[in-house]
Amino acid sequence: MSDTGESKVCLPGDGPIISVEDVHKSFNGLHVLRGLNLKVMANQTMVVIGGSGCGKSVLLKHIIGILRPDSGRVIFDSTDISELKEDDLSRVRSRFGMVFQGAALFDSLSVLENVAFGLRRAGKHDEDQIREIVLDKLRLVGLRDVEDKMPSELSGGMRKRVGIARAIASDPEVILYDEPTTGLDPIMADVVNELMLRIQKTQCATSVVVTHDMKSAYKVADRIAMMKDGVIVESGTPEEIQSTENPTVSQFIRGEARDAVEQHS
Amino acid sequence: MIADMTESLISVIEGAGRFTRFSAAAVKGLFVERPGRRQMVPLVMEIGLRSVPVVLATGAFVGMVIAVQIFAQLHKMGSESAAGPIINISIVSELGPVLAAIILAGRVGGAMSAELGTMKVTEQLDALRTLGADPVSYLVSPRFLACFLLVPLLTIYSDAIGVLGGYLMSVRFLGISDYHYWHQTRQFIQRWDVFVGVGKAFYFGGVIGLICCYKGFMAEKGAEGVGRATTDAFVASFIAILAGNFFMALFFNNLYDYLYT
Repeated sequence: MSDTGESKVCLPGDGPIISVEDVHKSFNGLHVLRGLNLKVMANQTMVVIGGSGCGKSVLLKHIIGILRPDSGRVIFDSTDISELKEDDLSRVRSRFGMVFQGAALFDSLSVLENVAFGLRRAGKHDEDQIREIVLDKLRLVGLRDVEDKMPSELSGGMRKRVGIARAIASDPEVILYDEPTTGLDPIMADVVNELMLRIQKTQCATSVVVTHDMKSAYKVADRIAMMKDGVIVESGTPEEIQSTENPTVSQFIRGEARDAVEQHS
Repeated sequence: MIADMTESLISVIEGAGRFTRFSAAAVKGLFVERPGRRQMVPLVMEIGLRSVPVVLATGAFVGMVIAVQIFAQLHKMGSESAAGPIINISIVSELGPVLAAIILAGRVGGAMSAELGTMKVTEQLDALRTLGADPVSYLVSPRFLACFLLVPLLTIYSDAIGVLGGYLMSVRFLGISDYHYWHQTRQFIQRWDVFVGVGKAFYFGGVIGLICCYKGFMAEKGAEGVGRATTDAFVASFIAILAGNFFMALFFNNLYDYLYT
């Protein structure tokens, strides 16, 4: 992969840039988030781990304001975004980039149009500048000569990387990754991990990564939080998490079945 | 039993409220964010141009079938010369617009609800939000506009070919006099009849666009959810077309009486 960005020294911020406070959320009577609390420091990578269906993606969608909590608050840079109207929320979202689990590329648009989408909406650049930025971001994620292809012509790994290029096109302050390595082969998964680290170094962005891939979590995390039953049950540095005595966390990070079959049946 | 009925009623009212809000947002979207050429050209190609063959085929067969049926009835009474106006009024003000709308609800509406449903379940609608676009303004408003404007145009094509099909069947194959066919038609058909047909087509276009987009947006997860949304979209459009046709027939009759009598 080519390296088009310069590394910066990214110092952690003084306080949390994102603060999720006692958030509850239910869907059709199913209580998914049950008073969840989470703080994410600026310029750091917070990895949220947890089993499938525990509400990790729901948490990300609350952070970017796609979902609103039934109760509780989501504070971003001192603003309670759960109270904002859609227009104001749209302005806040322009400071975020989000990488979706299945990439969520727009099927009817080419790769270039996908990556350029947010830039065109923002209206701050002319078409030549937009094309330059798009090609630059595609090079950053290790893709060349794909700008005129349609998403259906790309492999899973390429789609994921185009999704990352789209998320970072406008140099957002915060990047949210929803299961970035799920469904990829081990080498491509590591390519994506390297990519997240490189983006972190070149853009000094705050990242929140939702995953159940522990190898990925240890590689990219400054801090790890474990989610279960709609709450954060433990958080700490990767070293602290690895040496935890909490049996739930310990079982998850070691991938032990124990009585999980009974719990899930 | 009563509790179930109450729950169903509440659910229907809630659904109607959601659809009304969705429709209002789609119409508002036309003014907030005017659909650009980049969005409209593919829609005009898909909804308009690619629908022309099926609409023409439908129109031609509708015209010919009506001619055969009307001729059979009038022949018993020896009044074949009255076939022209009956066939043509049926085509331009009733069956032409309704059948064209039903065909378009299946072809265009089904495709739209499947496309938007797939976008919903693959999180593309969420991706739009994260990139600063309102999915309703960006996706629904242009589709609504395209359907609203193109369905009447396609209905005019369908009517024209239906009139031609009815004429060919009546005059060339069933032996009705060419002169009587057109003379009677000119005597009884007014511009109002054509206006009623096209007026209905605007409504049909609008409801097809809104209902099919709404059902796509409401799709549940997975291929099954998208399939169900597509089926629901067609069924709901079908009912809205038939029920709307009835109420508009009443409305236009009253309007005619108010304006001309």
